[in-house]
Amino acid sequence: MTTGQRRLRIAADLGRLAEVRGLVRDVAASSQAPPACMDDLVQAVDEAASNVIRHGYGGSSGWIDVAAELVDDRIVITLEDEAPPFDPTTAPEPDMAVPPGRRRPGGMGIHLIRLAMDTIDHSPRPGGGNILVMSRRLDPRPKEER
Amino acid sequence: MSLETKTERVEGSVPITILALDGELDASNFEEVIETARRLYSEGARQLIIDLEKLTFMASSGLVALHSIVQVMHGQEPLDPEGGWATLHGLQGDRQSEVRLAGPQPAVDRVLKRTGLDRLFIIHPDRDLAVAAI
Repeated sequence: MTTGQRRLRIAADLGRLAEVRGLVRDVAASSQAPPACMDDLVQAVDEAASNVIRHGYGGSSGWIDVAAELVDDRIVITLEDEAPPFDPTTAPEPDMAVPPGRRRPGGMGIHLIRLAMDTIDHSPRPGGGNILVMSRRLDPRPKEER
Repeated sequence: MSLETKTERVEGSVPITILALDGELDASNFEEVIETARRLYSEGARQLIIDLEKLTFMASSGLVALHSIVQVMHGQEPLDPEGGWATLHGLQGDRQSEVRLAGPQPAVDRVLKRTGLDRLFIIHPDRDLAVAAI
């Protein structure tokens, strides 16, 4: 089963993140995604887009294309940008053994994406930038309960 | 959906300030929440309950806000979230009781657990139980 792909282009502006979450929420709802699945998809797309805006473009102007669709038993989210290349799949895991009060407060976005999604693939965008493709099965259980 | 904050003072065994978050806490608005906590501290708040019952989404930047609010309520300046390990000082990492959380929805609760930030807070099922526990 597939549904039509929904696409959105936003300016690299943190104030546009709510629209990105809204797009993914709409696709998840029309795909009858269970609540925990929808929560994971929304979390992942927000963290990924936020990282591109804050760290990729770093205050410079730019754009992000976001697409979401149901493909078979999973929802696939694709983000494209023109920011300097960065592969989040190679970022180190935070040290969870360190008590949270003594841990660096940032750096948790990629950790949350890894826990939310089943697959994460990064590739350089032809002509410059990044393509990030993430997917999650329509499984009602969070990953840690499977 | 944006974020609305509402503050309220209640009298328990000690004066308690409740900061209720309604909407979505993300990278566009987390600094405003820290600013609100800073103002509350400067007005004398020393016991804070953050009511999360109507918070439908929390990004990792929301975790930075919660972490920073703990520091603000301990009279410290929040760490630069991008500052790295070298800037760390202060809190010893144990669960503290000056800032408590109440009523997190499943999506928000999962983010707290997945990042271990639940270990920094006493988390109550709702604000009334949080008030009663102080």
